[in-house]
Formats: sequence, structure tokens, C-alpha cells
Amino acid sequence: MGVTILTQFPTENRTGPQTIDVLSKRIMALGAIQQGQFLVDCETYTSVQQLGPQRTVHVLHNSEQPATVFSLLETGTKTIPLATDGLFDLLMMKMSSFYTSKKQTKAESKGPRYEIGDFCVKLGTVTVSSNFKGILVEVEYRPCVVPAMCWDLLKEFLQGFLGLSGPTNPPAYLQNRMQEIYSPIDTIHQYLEHFTLFRKSPVEANVN
Amino acid sequence: MSTPGTAMDSLSAALKCNIIPNQEYLLQGSVLDQYVEVLLHRLRGLCDNVDSGPESFHDHELCFTLRAANTGAPMVLPLRVRRALDVNDAPFQLRYVGQQELGDKNRPTVVRSSIDMACSSTIVEFLTELGCRLDFEYIARGYMFRKGRMKITVSKIFKMGGNKPGEGVEPISQSYLVELSVLAPSGQDAIGEDMRVFAEQLRPLVQLEKIDYKRLGNMM
Repeated sequence: MGVTILTQFPTENRTGPQTIDVLSKRIMALGAIQQGQFLVDCETYTSVQQLGPQRTVHVLHNSEQPATVFSLLETGTKTIPLATDGLFDLLMMKMSSFYTSKKQTKAESKGPRYEIGDFCVKLGTVTVSSNFKGILVEVEYRPCVVPAMCWDLLKEFLQGFLGLSGPTNPPAYLQNRMQEIYSPIDTIHQYLEHFTLFRKSPVEANVN
Repeated sequence: MSTPGTAMDSLSAALKCNIIPNQEYLLQGSVLDQYVEVLLHRLRGLCDNVDSGPESFHDHELCFTLRAANTGAPMVLPLRVRRALDVNDAPFQLRYVGQQELGDKNRPTVVRSSIDMACSSTIVEFLTELGCRLDFEYIARGYMFRKGRMKITVSKIFKMGGNKPGEGVEPISQSYLVELSVLAPSGQDAIGEDMRVFAEQLRPLVQLEKIDYKRLGNMM
């Protein structure tokens, strides 16, 4: 487990698969080897009226940690993270009369996963309730766990294959946590930030 | 290379194959303090962990409920959090325990649904902010034995004293709570019979029985 940076890559005039194709060619040219596929998904539940002030629970899964369910509870004033075993999904079903999932909000990012030296690169096609929304590129630098100590390296690596679309600043979520030890829940926070933006964005025309 | 299936797909598959241990088979009883050593001695002889001896535990349990005032029947979801006080880095345990199944009166044990999982230490704040109310909490200290897939615990229950667990605790009675339980997928009723046979071997030191909580509630 290292430090992960998640960034959106603009599709411009290309379709989703075309963009993934361009990026995978670039990363393969650098010497990356494909190691399977990955999937991160997110379902959002909101509290029923009888429970008082509205709260939101986001339940996320990451194929990189297949035995864990990550939840983020938003109360309006703060966000509380929780990591549990897989059976948490079963508990959410029990809670269905208190917390209900809004249909049309299931978000996921999936696609090929590459390894290149100390880096792990994932090219994700993002869909919200099966509608294509955009491309998310995840890069993990595995030997280091403190963002501040490897941000420059990650930035250089990202700009190396994303060009001008590479990030110039750390993701907003990480900016005030640069000196802290990075853990898988931090990746989940970054995904949720992007999924929330994608859910608000209009459906892209180029579905394929 | 195939895309990994979603977590929900694998959960539904596991539910379909009935491999999730979501039923608890339970018998309960108690033993007076002065006889607990005799019971522990007998359990040491009967159970699997003969060489290593029993495992001790010292846990803090918090019992929450999630309630919503509903037109008609009120909705209540009980949730319990357990954390080890003697092992610092052990994960917290979150547990949902359902109503006991009415079922067959001749069934040898209580059967109730149970969802048990390890979780991070943020769980207490998570549940509180989720809308759960803390109903009560207690400290349990005692020993755990295993016999096949049966779990036997002998525990002393303490009231919470000071603000911190472990501070000024007071035992709630002069006896130990004895529990015999198995967590298994539903439909494995044969385990109930094994439990009945095992409970028989502990008589007359301790009488392990099906405790009907509803009737206990009426007695108070």
C-alpha cells in the first residue's frame, strides 16, 4: 500500500473506449504490463425523514481491497469514515427502512490495471447508473506512504503520460493531509469526490 | 482477463449458496462465583484447547438501537459494538442480533439471525452520527473455550463505573454468565443437537437453557 493520486482525464472529442485505448497505448509504451482489471463502486443511501436531520451514507468497494467495505457518513458538518468486513452490505439491507438508496446514483469506475516498476496505474471508465461520465486515472506509488514525500515524483510520472492534462496540484482532499500516513480509505475519499462531481454533471453524448 | 464482479454480486452469490454464517444457535445459563473454578476445570477437560488452556478476554460492549417513529409499528434495529480492552490493536466488532425465531418449541436451542463483522475504531462515532442511541454498555471479563465449532464463554459482567472502561467497575451479580453458541449458515439445525448433548455434560453445575427474552421482559 502506497500513496494514490486520482485524477480526471478529459475525453475531448474521443469516446470513452477510444480514450482508454490512447492511454493504455501510452502506458504500455513506457513498459507497463497489464495485471488484470479493477473496479471501484459506490452506492449512496440517505436517511428517511423519520430519522431527523438528513444524513448520507456512501458505501464503496475497491477490488484492490476485496474483503473490505468502506463507508463514509456525511452529516452535513462532518464526514466519518468506516472500514468493515464484507458483511456490512448485508447490514445495509437490514437498514433499508432507515436508509434508502436513491436509484440512478450507483457510480463505478472500472477498467484495466497496469504495473510499471514501483507504480500501479488504473484506467477507469466512469459510469453513473450505466451512463458514461468520463475517465479517471489512478496512479499509486507503492514504496512510500507519506504523500508529501512522493508528490513530486507522482506529479512527474502523471505528467509523463497524461501530458498537460496531468495534475499540477495534489487532489483537494490530500492537500491538508500531505504529512499524514496514507491508507486505503484516503483513496476512497478521492473516488467519492470525483463520483459526486460526475453525478452532478450532465450525461455525455458519446455513450460508446 | 475478466472484469472483477461487483461486491454486491458476490454477496448475492454467497447468500444464494447459503455459505454466510448468519444464524446464531445459543444456550445460556449462569454459575455462582464460588463454583466457577469447578466449571472452568470441567470445561478444560471437555474442550479442544486442552494444552494452551482457555483464552481470556476483557471486552467492553456498547448496545445501540436505531429507531424511527413510524406510523404503526416503530422500527427498531439493535446494533452492538464490542472492543477488546486487553488487546490494543484488535479491530472493533460490530454485530446485529435479530429477534429469536419462534419456530419449533422442541428445537434444542435459541436460533436468531446475526451479522457479525470486524470494523475500524470509528464505528462508535459512525453509529452515533447515523442516528443510533446508546441504550446500555457493560464490561465482560472471562474465558473462552472451543469444542469443534461450538464456542463456550464464561464471563463476569460489570457495570460501567467511571467515565473510562476499567475505572471503578462493579460486578452486576455474584455469578458468571455461561454461553454456548455456534454461528452457522441457516438451516444447519443438526448443530442444535450437538449443543444439547454438550450442555448435558455440564449439568448439574450449570443448566444451559433457551432463554426467552420476551418473558424476561415481562417479569421485570
